[in-house]
Amino acid sequence: MRHLIREPLVQFLLVGLVLFGAWQLAKPAHAARDASNRIVITEDDLKQMAVGWAAQGLPPPSPQQMKELIDARVREEVLYREALALGLDKDDAIVRRQLARKMEFVAEDLSKLEEPKPEELRAWYEKSRARFALPPRVTFRHVYFSPDRRGANTRTDAVAALTQLSGKPIDASVGVGDTFMFQSFYGDRSMEVLAKEFGPAFARALVDVAPGAWAGPVESGYGWHLVFIDSMTPQQIPEFDAIEQEVRNAWVEEHREKTRASMYESMRARYEVVLPGS
Amino acid sequence: MQIPFRKSCIAVVATLVSGAFGTSALGANPDRDAYFGETHVHTSWSLDAWLLGNRMTGPADAYKYFKGEPIKHPAGYDVKIVTPLDWAGVTDHSEYVGVIKYANDPTSALSKVPAAQPLKIDPNKPLSEEGIRIFNYVAKVLFGGPPVKSLMDPKIAGTVWKETIAAAQAANEPGKFTAFCSYEWTSMPNNMNMHRNIFFKECHKVPEAPFSALDSSFPEDLWNWMDAERKKGNELLAISHNANISDGRMYPTEVDLRGRPIDAAWAESRMRNERLVEIHQIKGTSETHPLMSPNDEFASFEIMQFLIGDPPGRTPHLVGSFARQALKDGVAMQGSKGFNPYKFGFGAAADSHNTAVAYRQENWFGAHALTDATPEIRMSGKIAAGMDPRNLYPAGLTGVWAEENTRASLFEGMQRKETFAVSGPHIKVRLFGGWEYTPEILKDAAWVKTGYAKGVPMGGDLPVAKAKAPTFVVWAVKDPTSGNLDRIQIVKGWSKNGQSFERVFDVVWAGDRKPDKWTGVVPPIGNTVDIEKATYTNSIGAVELKQVWTDPEFDPSLDAFYYARVLEIPTPRWTTIQAKQLGIAPPDVVPPTIQERAWSSPIWYTPTAEARKTAKPNGMTVSDLKKQGGVALNDAQLRALIVGKSTWLQNNVTGDKYEVIYGDSGPGTKVATPSEPGFNTQKFAPNQGQIWLRFLGRNTMLPSLVGNPVEASKLGVTSAYFINNGKIVNPMSGSPIEITVYKVGDKYLAARGNEFGYANYEIIPAVAELNPLNLGGAKKAAVK
Repeated sequence: MRHLIREPLVQFLLVGLVLFGAWQLAKPAHAARDASNRIVITEDDLKQMAVGWAAQGLPPPSPQQMKELIDARVREEVLYREALALGLDKDDAIVRRQLARKMEFVAEDLSKLEEPKPEELRAWYEKSRARFALPPRVTFRHVYFSPDRRGANTRTDAVAALTQLSGKPIDASVGVGDTFMFQSFYGDRSMEVLAKEFGPAFARALVDVAPGAWAGPVESGYGWHLVFIDSMTPQQIPEFDAIEQEVRNAWVEEHREKTRASMYESMRARYEVVLPGS
Repeated sequence: MQIPFRKSCIAVVATLVSGAFGTSALGANPDRDAYFGETHVHTSWSLDAWLLGNRMTGPADAYKYFKGEPIKHPAGYDVKIVTPLDWAGVTDHSEYVGVIKYANDPTSALSKVPAAQPLKIDPNKPLSEEGIRIFNYVAKVLFGGPPVKSLMDPKIAGTVWKETIAAAQAANEPGKFTAFCSYEWTSMPNNMNMHRNIFFKECHKVPEAPFSALDSSFPEDLWNWMDAERKKGNELLAISHNANISDGRMYPTEVDLRGRPIDAAWAESRMRNERLVEIHQIKGTSETHPLMSPNDEFASFEIMQFLIGDPPGRTPHLVGSFARQALKDGVAMQGSKGFNPYKFGFGAAADSHNTAVAYRQENWFGAHALTDATPEIRMSGKIAAGMDPRNLYPAGLTGVWAEENTRASLFEGMQRKETFAVSGPHIKVRLFGGWEYTPEILKDAAWVKTGYAKGVPMGGDLPVAKAKAPTFVVWAVKDPTSGNLDRIQIVKGWSKNGQSFERVFDVVWAGDRKPDKWTGVVPPIGNTVDIEKATYTNSIGAVELKQVWTDPEFDPSLDAFYYARVLEIPTPRWTTIQAKQLGIAPPDVVPPTIQERAWSSPIWYTPTAEARKTAKPNGMTVSDLKKQGGVALNDAQLRALIVGKSTWLQNNVTGDKYEVIYGDSGPGTKVATPSEPGFNTQKFAPNQGQIWLRFLGRNTMLPSLVGNPVEASKLGVTSAYFINNGKIVNPMSGSPIEITVYKVGDKYLAARGNEFGYANYEIIPAVAELNPLNLGGAKKAAVK
C-alpha cells in the first residue's frame, strides 16, 4: 500500500479527489451561467492556435484536431477560473514569485515607453560625464632588463643604465638592456591593453611617469624596464555628439533601474510592515 | 619645428610597427598574435545551470564579464576576471533550453505537460537540494534517455537561440573583442559524456535552431548535419570535451556507438568537423593518465574520474578517454589502415555554470552556482551529482594564433588547429616544425617570419622530408600575473607495426640544471610554495624559454606527432589557498601545489609511400601470418601453452625481451593443501589467474595500454588474466586487452588486440643474461 501511495499517478488522483470534494463543498454561488462565466474564443484566438500548431512542424490541423485544441483551451480556462475562485493561487510560492517578477517586467516596459528629450539627454550627459571617460592612452618605448639573464642584479642594472641614459636623446638606448620578446615601442595603447600585456601594476605605474625623458625602473610581470614616454593622452571624455548613442543607451539603462526602484517605492509606501516584537 | 616633425615621424613608425606586430585593432599582423578565449561557458539559460541556482545572468552578462566588467555570482556577490579575454562564445546547452524556466512558470503551456512535473521546484524544500534532485533527473532522463517530445517546444528553443545570437552580435567588437555564435550539443547516452561545443564562423548564417542531442545523440549524425550546414555556406566546427568522463567512448578505435566499424569515411567525417578537443577544464584534464603514460612524471595533472549524474555501480573506463592515446592510436591507424580519425588540435576551457569563470587559483569561486558558492561548501567536500568540489579546477583557456581579433581570423586559426591550451594563466607558446631551421634562428628578431616561411606552425603537417630529421622551434613566455616557467617539453608519439609509443623530451628549462646524462631527464625545479601561508615567489623559473630541437631518434618510415608542453613552477592549488583562509589543513584528496601549464597543438609527420617502403620489416600482420599457415590457438591449446608456465617473450618491434609468468588459473582438479602452490589461487573463480611480467627496466620501450609493467616487475605486482574464446584477456583498468596466439611452424606469435592487425610478440628461449656488456659499444648503448 505504501508503495502504491508513492506512485505519482495515485498521488495525483488522491489530490484530485480531495480538490473535487472541496469544490463540491465550496461550489461558488455564481455557478449559474451569467456573463462573467462566458468564455469567448475569437477568430484571432483560433488563428493563434493554428500558428502554434504549425510552429511545431506539424501538418495543418484537421477539424478534429482543431476541436481538440479548442477543447484544451476551454478546459484550461475553466480550470484556471475555478482555481482562482477557490483561491488556489494564494500562498503558492511559484505563483507569487512569478507575479512579482511580472510586476518588475511591467516597470521595465513602462520605462521603455519613455525616450529622453534631446536637451534632457545632453543635460544628463553633462551631469554624468565621468562615466564616459576613456582610459588614458600612452605612446612609449622601453629598455628591458631580463631576470632570466641578470637574476638578482636585474633591478640594479636597470638603475645603473638609467644614470647612463638620463638626459640623453631617445636613440641613446640602442644596445642598452636585453632583447624584449614583444615590442620595444608601443604606439597609442590604452592602459587596459597594457595591463593585459605587462600586468596591471606596470600599467598603473606608467601613468605617473613624466613624458619626454628616460625614467624608471618600472617593474612588469616580466622584469624591469626603463621607459621613455613619447606622449600620454590623459583620461578623456568624448564630446556628446561623438557618443550620442552610447549616452542614450546608458540613459535608458539607468532610467529603467530608476523606474523600477521608484515604482517599488511608491507601492511600498502604501504598506505598513509589522515585524514580530515591534 | 623639429619636434613636431619628429613626432609625426614617430607616429608613422608607430603605425608601421603596429601594422607588423600590433596587438590592437590597428590592422592584421601576418606574424599572428595569441588571442585567449573561452569556448565553453553556461549561463542561466542552460537547463542544468538554472537548476543549480544560476537564475540571474545570461549570455550578455557573460560577455560583459569576459571584457572585464564585474557581474553577479549566482549567490549574489560580485565577481571580476583577473585578465580580460580577447574572445568568447557562450555555449548554453541546446537541449530543452528554457524548459525549467517555463516548467516553473504556471502560466506557460509547458508547465502542464506531465513530463515537466519532475522539473518543478518544490518551494517547501531547500533550493539547493531541489536543484540537485532535478539535475540528476535531467542528467539521467533528459540528457541520457530518449528525447521527451512534449518538452521540445520549438517556440521556446527558437526564441532562446535567437536571443543567444543577438547577445553575441551585441558583444562583438571586431579588433577588440570577438563574440562567437555557439552552443553545446549535449549527448550523454547512459551518462557517457559525448559532448561537443559547436562554433559558427558567422552569426548571420546560423540555422533557425541548433542541432541538439534530442535530434540525435550520435556524433555521426551531428557531423552529417554540420556537413549539410557547410554545404549551405554556413562554416562551423565542433570541439569535443571531457573525454576523461566519456567512459572510454570518446576515442573509439574499433566501432562507433552504433557498432559500425571505424573506417576511412568515419575518420574523414570526424576530422572535417571536429578540428579541436578541449583537453583541460573545470572537470579535469583529458591529455593523458599516469597509467597510460607511466614514464611521464607530469602526467598526473588534475585527473578527475566519475560519470556525470553519478550512476550507481559504474566504474570508469580509462581506455578511450584520453587525447594523447587517441593521437597515438591515430598515427597507428594511419600506418596500418591508411586513415587517421584523431588528427585534432588542442584547446582548453571552463564549462562553468556560473556565467562567470574564475580561471585562477587565487580567485576560485566555484562553477556550479549555489552548490559550490562558498569556501565552506567547497572545502567540506559536499558531493553534488557525483563530484567532490575539491577536485574541481578554476578552468582553462584556448589560445589562437591569428592575424587579427575578428570572427573570421580566429575561426580560421581554429580550423587550421593553430591553437594551444592553457590551464588558466595566459602562457603564450609557439611551435614550428620543419627541415631547414638552424640553431641560429632564434637570434634573429624576425624568427617568427622564418618560422612560417620555412616550416609549419602548430596544428600543421610536416612537408616532405628535406633532412634526416625534423627540427622544431619552440618558444614560450609566462603570464605576467602568474608563476615563472619551469621547462618546455616536446611530447612525441609514433607508431610502428600497429604499436604506438610515446616519449617526453625536456628541450629547454630555467636555471642551470643538468639533465641526467643517460636519460636526458631534467631534475625538478624546486618549490617555493609555503603551504601554510599558501604563497610562492618567482625567485626560481624563467620569464621566457626558447629552443631549437631536432628529433634525435627520428625514423622517416614511421608516422609520428609532436606537441609542446610548457610547465610553470609549482604554485599553491586553490584548495591550499582556501584551506589557509579557513584555517584548516589542505585537503588530502588533491595535491597542495600544482604546475600550471600550456599545451600546443601537435604537428604531424606522415611518411610518403616511398619512405614507408624503407621500414625495416620486424613484425608481421595477422593476415600475412595466416597466409604462411599460421593457426590461432583455442582455449585448451592456450592453457596448455601458458598456464602455470614461465615464458620468455620478445616484442619484435622494439627488440625488448622479458619473462611472462601466467600463474595457476582457478581451482585445480583436486583441492590443494596449504603446502601446495595452488592453495590460494584455487579460491578464485575458474579461469582466472594472475600474470606477472619480469625483468623490465626503465628503458624498456613500452607499447600502448600496458599499464606500468616496469614498476610491477620490480614490486612483484600481478594483474588478472582470463582465457576466453581463444584469447588471453588482460583487463586494463576495466577494458579488456585481448591477445591471440598463432602457431606457425614451430614458432608461437602473439597479436595484442589494440595493435591493429599485427602479431608483434614471439615466444623465445629463456634469456640468461639481461644486459650483456659490450664495453666497446658503450657510447651507442648510452644513447638508448
